Amino acid sequence: MNDRRRVNGPPGGTRPPVYASLLQSGTGADTRAQRQRQPTDLRKIFLKTGLIPSASGSSYLEFEPSASLAAARSNPKSLIPPSSALKLACTVHGPKPLPRSAPFSPNLVLTTHVKYAPFAARKRKGHVRDSSERDLGVHLETALRGAIIAERWPKSGLDITVTILEAEDDRWWGDVPDSHDASWGMMNVLAGCISAASAAIADAHIDCLDLVSGGVAALVSDDSTDSPSALPKLMLDTDPAEHRSIVSACVVAYMPARDEITELWLKGDSSKVSTADGDQRSGHEALIDGAVDAARGAHTVLAEAVRESLQKTLGQS
Amino acid sequence: MSNQRQASSASQTPHLSPAELSYLYTSLSLPKSPIRPDGRSPTQFRPLTAESNILPGTNGSARIGFADGTQAIVGVKAEVEKTVLSTDTLASSEGGEGEDSTSTSNSAAASGHGSWVQMSIEIPGFRDDDALPVFLSEMMRESLVGSVADGGSDGGGDGGGDGDVTMAGGLKGRLVINKRWHWRLYIDVLLLSQPLSYPLPLLSLTTHLALLSTKLPKLKSQGEEDPFFDDDWEVAEYLYPRSSNLKAAGNASQYVRPPVTLLVVSVGENIIFDPSREEIAVADAVLAISVTRDTEAGNLKLLSIRTVDPPSRLTQPAVPNSENVNMLGATAPTEDIAVLNPATGEEEVPGVWRPRRGGVKRSVIANMVKTVLKKGGVGEEVLEGLEGVEVE
Amino acid sequence: MPLDTSTTYPLTRLRLDGRRWNELRLLQAQISTNPASSGSSYLSMGNTAIMCSVHGPAEGRRGEASGAAGSAGAIVEVDVNVAGFASVDRRRKAGGSDKQSSRIATTLRAAFQSHLHTYLYPHSTISIHVSVLSADGSLLAAAINACTLALVDAGIPMPGLLTGCTSGMSGSASTPRDPRNDELDPLLDLSLPEEQELPFLTVGTTTCVPVGENHMEDEEEETKVAVLNMDSKLHCTYIETMLAVGMDGCNQIRELLEGVIKGSNRG
Repeated sequence: MNDRRRVNGPPGGTRPPVYASLLQSGTGADTRAQRQRQPTDLRKIFLKTGLIPSASGSSYLEFEPSASLAAARSNPKSLIPPSSALKLACTVHGPKPLPRSAPFSPNLVLTTHVKYAPFAARKRKGHVRDSSERDLGVHLETALRGAIIAERWPKSGLDITVTILEAEDDRWWGDVPDSHDASWGMMNVLAGCISAASAAIADAHIDCLDLVSGGVAALVSDDSTDSPSALPKLMLDTDPAEHRSIVSACVVAYMPARDEITELWLKGDSSKVSTADGDQRSGHEALIDGAVDAARGAHTVLAEAVRESLQKTLGQS
Repeated sequence: MSNQRQASSASQTPHLSPAELSYLYTSLSLPKSPIRPDGRSPTQFRPLTAESNILPGTNGSARIGFADGTQAIVGVKAEVEKTVLSTDTLASSEGGEGEDSTSTSNSAAASGHGSWVQMSIEIPGFRDDDALPVFLSEMMRESLVGSVADGGSDGGGDGGGDGDVTMAGGLKGRLVINKRWHWRLYIDVLLLSQPLSYPLPLLSLTTHLALLSTKLPKLKSQGEEDPFFDDDWEVAEYLYPRSSNLKAAGNASQYVRPPVTLLVVSVGENIIFDPSREEIAVADAVLAISVTRDTEAGNLKLLSIRTVDPPSRLTQPAVPNSENVNMLGATAPTEDIAVLNPATGEEEVPGVWRPRRGGVKRSVIANMVKTVLKKGGVGEEVLEGLEGVEVE
Repeated sequence: MPLDTSTTYPLTRLRLDGRRWNELRLLQAQISTNPASSGSSYLSMGNTAIMCSVHGPAEGRRGEASGAAGSAGAIVEVDVNVAGFASVDRRRKAGGSDKQSSRIATTLRAAFQSHLHTYLYPHSTISIHVSVLSADGSLLAAAINACTLALVDAGIPMPGLLTGCTSGMSGSASTPRDPRNDELDPLLDLSLPEEQELPFLTVGTTTCVPVGENHMEDEEEETKVAVLNMDSKLHCTYIETMLAVGMDGCNQIRELLEGVIKGSNRG
């Protein structure tokens, strides 16, 4: 859909200048970010609630930039940062009465909006929500609706808005855009949205079954140049910029207390996976379990952030 | 109407009373042998009528009508388009003479791009950009472009194809004409009436049939020339190639097929396929599972799983007699003893409907996927059924 | 030589698709195609194919049919959707409906709102959904015919069948008509290439079902024009010819549709 209300930038977007000298040294693998973490290591998460006073609940979430980014900053070979890290803000408005025109609802009516800031990704996003943003909104809604105890607020609405300030890359920027075009970065964004929204809902004091947290796992075949027959490996919390080829990925919204998944999104070919000996799980099961492990990790951060927010409100009163 | 839009993925909030919901849930969650309202077995599908190649003005088309009267028509159109090489590609192929850059740009031209497949879904009563059509089209497009036939694009990219049965690089690879030109595929899905149940299975099956019947004109140019095509529609080639001489049925199952997306629900411990509107209304979990045939192994391959928001979360709760002021003193106190529901892990009074809360256990998901994928399972059954359609 | 009707017709007296001036394209129709609706139909005129489904008369949505407008009779809602694959090149949509389909919808709504006996159904809504599967000219006319069939299938009372047809002239017809040297012929039921090069109009007529004895003799007089739509420039001396040809086409189509209705026996 065209955005006719604003003066928009050039349709193709703008790119930072690329100098030939930088490219020559930079086409090889040396500036491509490499994963420094162990396969089961997660990135650090910064999560803080209650930063937006006008909303009934809010949170701000940031992933730790990959180690490669820090290295690239200290010793710049290229002007372009090798990877980006997720930064997003979430606000919750409500519960508030539904408008008079709305039909009766015995439950809390949840509306979710996920919007990338125009500057969030390397390619500029428009002001009108595009299909991927709407898609993310539906995923987030599914994830949260399972956790919220909705029948405690009949005839009420809850608006959850997530603004993504910096999005995860779908691939390394230097890769040809066609080489693997699946939007793997969206999955990390969704996991971040789920954790942040969960914190914001807790900050708004809305009853939930549990804090639902998001986690991502992926099957990665990085060293395809060495041995093409090597099976893809399972990695948690993948940064797509750090990997040459992601075969499949999975994001879950997970409630540890009940050991239940409220949202599952898996895509890609998960039929082949190199698992430890004696591991009888099939690829997709390993992937789901990996994502759940990642979500458990995120849950510890979430619980800490919510405790902090509670202490703050208790201190105020 | 506004409620429908808010309840995006859950299609419509069902208009069933709590008592009806409770009855449905109890009969569907009977251990081992669920009783479905229409008497089907858990894996049985409703009958449907299907025909393909109904619109001569399209490259491929199909119509499927479900027994409940909902119909969908899918038309596939293909257009030739110039492949836009991005500035990155140009820069890297000019700038770096290393092996790495050239090999990546080659693979890019051969493997195709997911955005070459465009999908739009029209559902009466919904706008194009409402959540439901967007979610459905993303779900179906994702499995379509993701269905790479075999691991890696090393099989060589002669996508123009001289009747080769395998399809290197999947659908994306098939759309490549040469380095500078490609096909762009438009898949337009038309639902002819307001959906009575979650329309995903209908749309997915119709899209599958339409893609199977899709033909592209035969390429007459060679190599990197600007493409021109044979005018004769009789010699046009199928988008999903198949060999003309019919071999044994066991062999025919090895051809590349478009993926299908199945809707699976779990009620209690039971797993139910092709849920009707009433059944989906009481489901604990709803999963959309996309599968396709694995050309190498000959069995089914999982392409994607998505959870769909179960509408049971939006239903109206019932009030147990013990809490009902109208029934005060009228009931024996022994009637309302809350028991632990093993499926949800919550205290519930039997026969009193509570909207579902929480998610789904991992074991249930694994079980659902297994039922679809296993040899002779539901997935194979559906694919075989669809293959039967185009023979006629 | 460009291959179009305005050049081939004076030479061969045949149109591009081989028809003579007064021939309709092959019309095929079916009713009760979609069991999920109150009434439905499929109609194809040449390569134009349309599916139509009718829901209702049903209770209108809150705030729409319950007002003062609804108390007089049912409200007709029309929704026209031209499929992306309908024309030769795929239509790129700029979100929602386009001008052509909303114009057709407006015309259909106006035509059927006044044509149907809506006073029988106060406070209710009759919603018509038209899907154009394949567009090859005479869209509005085909849509009128498909709607009529679907409404008949839904059992909604109407005084007679409302049928539509297009008619045009076999040349640009920008100069006054010369009765001595009349080389332009009127054409019936235009296809898309003809619509694009020639002036044409769409006419929809209806007849009252003859009631009583005195209505029996002059049926000709009872034809009423319900829809008349023309977008092209034409000298006014030709209008009468075109209108006459178009109305004659409507009568032919009415007989065909009557055959379809009588031929289909719903159990």
